[in-house]
Amino acid sequence: MDEFQEILQDFLVESFELVEKLDEDLVELENTPEDLELLNGIFRVAHTVKGASSFLNFDVLTHLTHHMEDVLNKARHGELIITPDIMDVVLESIDLMKALLNIIRDTSTDAGVDVSACVARLDKVSGGNGEVETVASAPVEEVVSEVEVAEEPEEEPDYDNMGNDEIEAEIERLLNERQDQDKARRAAKIAAGESVPEAPPSPIEDSTPTAPTPAPTQIPEVPSPPAPAPVAITPKRAEPKAAAPAKRAPAKRAPAQVEQTIRVDVKRLDHLMNLIGELVLAKNRLIKINDDVEERYEGEEFLEELNQVVSIVSLVTTDLQIAVMKTRMLPIGKVFNKFPRMIRDLTRELNKKIELEISGEETELDKSIVEEIGDPLVHIIRNSCDHGVEMPDVRLAAGKNETGTIVLKAYNEGNAIVIQIDDDGKGLNINMLKNKSVEKGIITEQEADSMSEKEAFALIFKPGFSTAASVTNVSGRGVGMDVVKTNIEKLNGIIDIDSELGKGTSIKLKIPLTLAIIQALLVGVQEEYYAIPLASVLETVRITQEEIYTVESRSVMRLREEVLSLVHIGDIFEVDRILDVSEHAYVVVLGLGAQKLGLIVDSLVGQEEIVIKSLGDYLKGIEGVAGATIRGDGGVTLIVDVVALMSMAKGVKATVSAANSAEEITYEKTKASDYKVMIIDDSKTDRTIMRKALEPMGINLVEASDGQEALNTLKSGEHSFDAMLVDIEMPRMDGYSLATEIKKYNKYKNLPLIAVTSRTGKSDRMRGVESGMIEYITKPYSADYLASVVQRNINFKSEFL
Amino acid sequence: MSDKLKDIINKQAQQQNGGLDQSDNIVQLVGFIIGEEEYAVPILSIQEIIKPISWTRVPQTPAYVLGVFNLRGSVIPLIDLRVKFGLRAKNHNEETRFFVLKQDDEVAGFVIDRLTAAIRIKKADIGPPPDTIASEDSMIGGVGKQEGKILTILKVNKLLARDF
Repeated sequence: MDEFQEILQDFLVESFELVEKLDEDLVELENTPEDLELLNGIFRVAHTVKGASSFLNFDVLTHLTHHMEDVLNKARHGELIITPDIMDVVLESIDLMKALLNIIRDTSTDAGVDVSACVARLDKVSGGNGEVETVASAPVEEVVSEVEVAEEPEEEPDYDNMGNDEIEAEIERLLNERQDQDKARRAAKIAAGESVPEAPPSPIEDSTPTAPTPAPTQIPEVPSPPAPAPVAITPKRAEPKAAAPAKRAPAKRAPAQVEQTIRVDVKRLDHLMNLIGELVLAKNRLIKINDDVEERYEGEEFLEELNQVVSIVSLVTTDLQIAVMKTRMLPIGKVFNKFPRMIRDLTRELNKKIELEISGEETELDKSIVEEIGDPLVHIIRNSCDHGVEMPDVRLAAGKNETGTIVLKAYNEGNAIVIQIDDDGKGLNINMLKNKSVEKGIITEQEADSMSEKEAFALIFKPGFSTAASVTNVSGRGVGMDVVKTNIEKLNGIIDIDSELGKGTSIKLKIPLTLAIIQALLVGVQEEYYAIPLASVLETVRITQEEIYTVESRSVMRLREEVLSLVHIGDIFEVDRILDVSEHAYVVVLGLGAQKLGLIVDSLVGQEEIVIKSLGDYLKGIEGVAGATIRGDGGVTLIVDVVALMSMAKGVKATVSAANSAEEITYEKTKASDYKVMIIDDSKTDRTIMRKALEPMGINLVEASDGQEALNTLKSGEHSFDAMLVDIEMPRMDGYSLATEIKKYNKYKNLPLIAVTSRTGKSDRMRGVESGMIEYITKPYSADYLASVVQRNINFKSEFL
Repeated sequence: MSDKLKDIINKQAQQQNGGLDQSDNIVQLVGFIIGEEEYAVPILSIQEIIKPISWTRVPQTPAYVLGVFNLRGSVIPLIDLRVKFGLRAKNHNEETRFFVLKQDDEVAGFVIDRLTAAIRIKKADIGPPPDTIASEDSMIGGVGKQEGKILTILKVNKLLARDF
């Protein structure tokens, strides 16, 4: 049973691959019905599926494919011209075949689909006039290029009149033939001087004893398989006579046929991708540590070595990441393949003439994106067919070609891939879009008036919008484009529309290459950091507070010729403004399709590669947060969801210049112990000396042994201090840094910091003043002097003495 | 020979069953203090207990959600049980711990004031929560009586459930 399952799996994978390609081929066939190569290809698919399904006892599928094969076989031999009507039947049968394959995948049987109607139609097409003698067609085969024929199974015997045994025998024969051809090809390659990866076939290896047909013998005498196979091989064998360069030709083409691939479970790739994600995080951390070490041990010799190792690790990690990403890449052609068929069906349904031009189908995208991108593209293309391209008579009247063209192309642009859908239809009418939206209550009249061209185009993505006057089967349910937008944005993609009335519309989807690891701009606001996906960042500008204007209670600024609405990241993420707001701020200009928004931040940290991690079920769905990442220092940084942010920004009123008047509640000091002073010194002795000097005053004293501890105590808010006595030389954080840190906070602006140090140089004093110290006491000092300085600075009331 | 073997196997099976019976009657919990009260959760639901580390605030969450922290590469939510239970937030001190609880795929860290001990308690000593608060939505799974103390046993699935 297991063996059967295994075969079944292989069968399904192969069949689905074949069928996918089939759609495209069939539509092309309709345009060039004479194309034998195509016909042969299609025939082969039907044949392969039939052969395998009969082997696996899928009778319904066999029955269906058999009749398809009949029709195609006729066409192949020129007895039947493929008309659109015949094509409809063939396409219908292929749809049935797909349905059957799906059922087989799900249930392992092919019951439940009625194919009789379709089979009857197929039968009618192929006509009752007896099966054609297959041998007669041999000459046709010969015309076909050598390589093609090499793969060609020879004419189909009449399976109708075969019993089960005979069919099995036939399959066996075909298998043998295939093997022989493989060998022949290999032999040809050897002849051409190519190395063959597998062991070269030895004469003994040839073993197909069960074959009913006489098994072919040795390689040197390749042309042994029955029927037309020799035709295929003869040219190759003739090759050695030709000059060396000529030999290359078949040899070069050969590798394409024997693609060296391994099928890998996607789960394994996903796991690999996760591991790489961890590695990238570790690399970021390593770089950070390297920087720290560099700073601390400047000039040390080992630094250079460390530097080298770190750069090698980071280089290899990046390469590895790209390599793994590549293994997950699929050509977008996998998605594009289904569109020719779709367009064809649509043109018949809508009575329009539309041609689809596809380019860049080899462009590669991450597997998960390829899977997600299909539906949005279907919607957009359907929309272009339905609303974009006009009816043939309208087109003629407008002086256009009767046949409309839709161009679907994909290409790389930086770290993203762009999928562009252009049509040469009637274009978007801005006024109509606006009127319609106002009518449907999507926007107000006022909004419509102030709308730019791009914003108006973007209206088609609004929920509840549909431009088609009549709702057709194809589109007009008013959900399509809205869903497109959501889906693309889910992939961190951007949609851009351009349109010219009467000339056509162009929709551009810009999608990141991969989902898991992205480039981000790290920004700081107060004490927090946020990561903004770089794909949405257009530019950053440094501004002063005066450049921010308020219009209708919204903050705006002038960016070159534009007015850019602004929002402070702190307002969106409810950040407490505890730090002093400096003169300057930075504006990160975010772009999402046609929308632009300026996000005010306090500082720009830099660009970093980040790995997106989910916040988990407990915190999922928090507006404005797309996920989190772990930074080089091990901390967690939230990733901004630009899409959500854009909509959240609308609800935020101007607060940029909001008064930071943190209400200072000052309690009346009623006794000496109401005063609180912090003593910061790393030496226990020094702390004790200070304590002894101040204790007689009766005030409260708190000690800290270094700057970091002092800062933590201060920030914890447990005590409210009236002054701090700060030593300069301290481990972890020295006195200057401590003072600088403290002065960043608004509420500590007026907290007296008194330096107590043995450093007496003028420059030391200068530094002290710069960092915000107001007094400078040099050791040694007298107890009275210290007490008097403290009393002066905390406004100590003399009556407490 | 085979009879003997059977005997032995039977005996072993009986012993094992007996052992199971015994452990069935005992519940192993880990106790901790929040405010004045002692609470407990089943020991098996605890992934680990760590000392406080730094965390990142997450906006638009209730006050009891402190944010997220990095536990060896995973981003995990951090919930302050003091605030969740209606007490005033308190600065973390030497005794503060992060309780990382796990059930199925749900993981979250909880800030508690102090650990007490691992507790083995007989099932018979665990009573239902008082009628006034006994409901499906209640976070209290039962009340354990032990040496004159009362122990509130919390439902892990309720702790891990998002309720905002």
